[in-house]
Amino acid sequence: MELKIRKSSDIYIIDVNGEMDLYNSYKLKELVMKMLEKKIQKFIINLENVDYIDSSGIGALIYICSTIKKLSLKLLITNVRGSVKKVIELTKLMGYFPISGSVIEAVKQLTD
Amino acid sequence: MEAAKKILQDDNHNLFSKDNMFTKEFPSDFRRIRYFTLMIVQKAPPEIKEINLLEQQISEVIKNAVKHGNKSDPEKTIKVWYTFSTEEARIIVEDKGEGFQNIDEWNAFNVNRQDCLSKEDYIKLAEYVSYRTEKSDDNDGGNALFAAVEYWNQGVVFSSKGNTVALGKRFPRKRPSIELDEA
Repeated sequence: MELKIRKSSDIYIIDVNGEMDLYNSYKLKELVMKMLEKKIQKFIINLENVDYIDSSGIGALIYICSTIKKLSLKLLITNVRGSVKKVIELTKLMGYFPISGSVIEAVKQLTD
Repeated sequence: MEAAKKILQDDNHNLFSKDNMFTKEFPSDFRRIRYFTLMIVQKAPPEIKEINLLEQQISEVIKNAVKHGNKSDPEKTIKVWYTFSTEEARIIVEDKGEGFQNIDEWNAFNVNRQDCLSKEDYIKLAEYVSYRTEKSDDNDGGNALFAAVEYWNQGVVFSSKGNTVALGKRFPRKRPSIELDEA
């Protein structure tokens, strides 16, 4: 898994590339926690290039999502598709996660 | 309202029948869980792999046996029985651990979770979004079994000791909507 950060005004976009599995999902959690320490308030997690996710990956997204909700900050998860979508559907959390179709749409939604 | 699916505990369940199944034994090596999974899944016909959903679901069962069952003790092995066809996937995984002792508690938790989902109460759902025990660590997603009871539509059944789990899924027979002439 590779994580890259882009920025659009005050919105930070994390592009996740590769597999979110039991060996590496903690990295995304750690990255977001570090960004929270730096007082970042608006996040997009872009899963466009994720082709495998397991319960550890879902667990990382749950952790990030509930932490950001508790702090009343903003998060959108984009490009949930393919097998990633199927795994989230199996956990029935499509309604729990703040999901947006694409990065462009998410940026619009998060722009005041 | 959709009822919550349950984990069963029944030594005599037909999913425990090992007739005509392949078998493999692995050491409890956490770093090789996905590799072991691939060795099993390679026997499955592509029609039922659903990209990598079958692999993902099997890797969760193996992970639970290695990590929660055998506590990643390299001296302890896990044993896997499996069979695949275009209509069915079945797997049995046995570890050498103490057994999953919280089945009733997990089922009760899942009823509450399903209740929040049915009512779309996403605030209360936050309490039921992952199942954790005092033994859970930061890397445990706490959600694998919720997906398992949905995916394995023939059942998720534990032995009375709780250290063996049998899972089965039937796949809908796909009929082509148009007849194709074979050239």
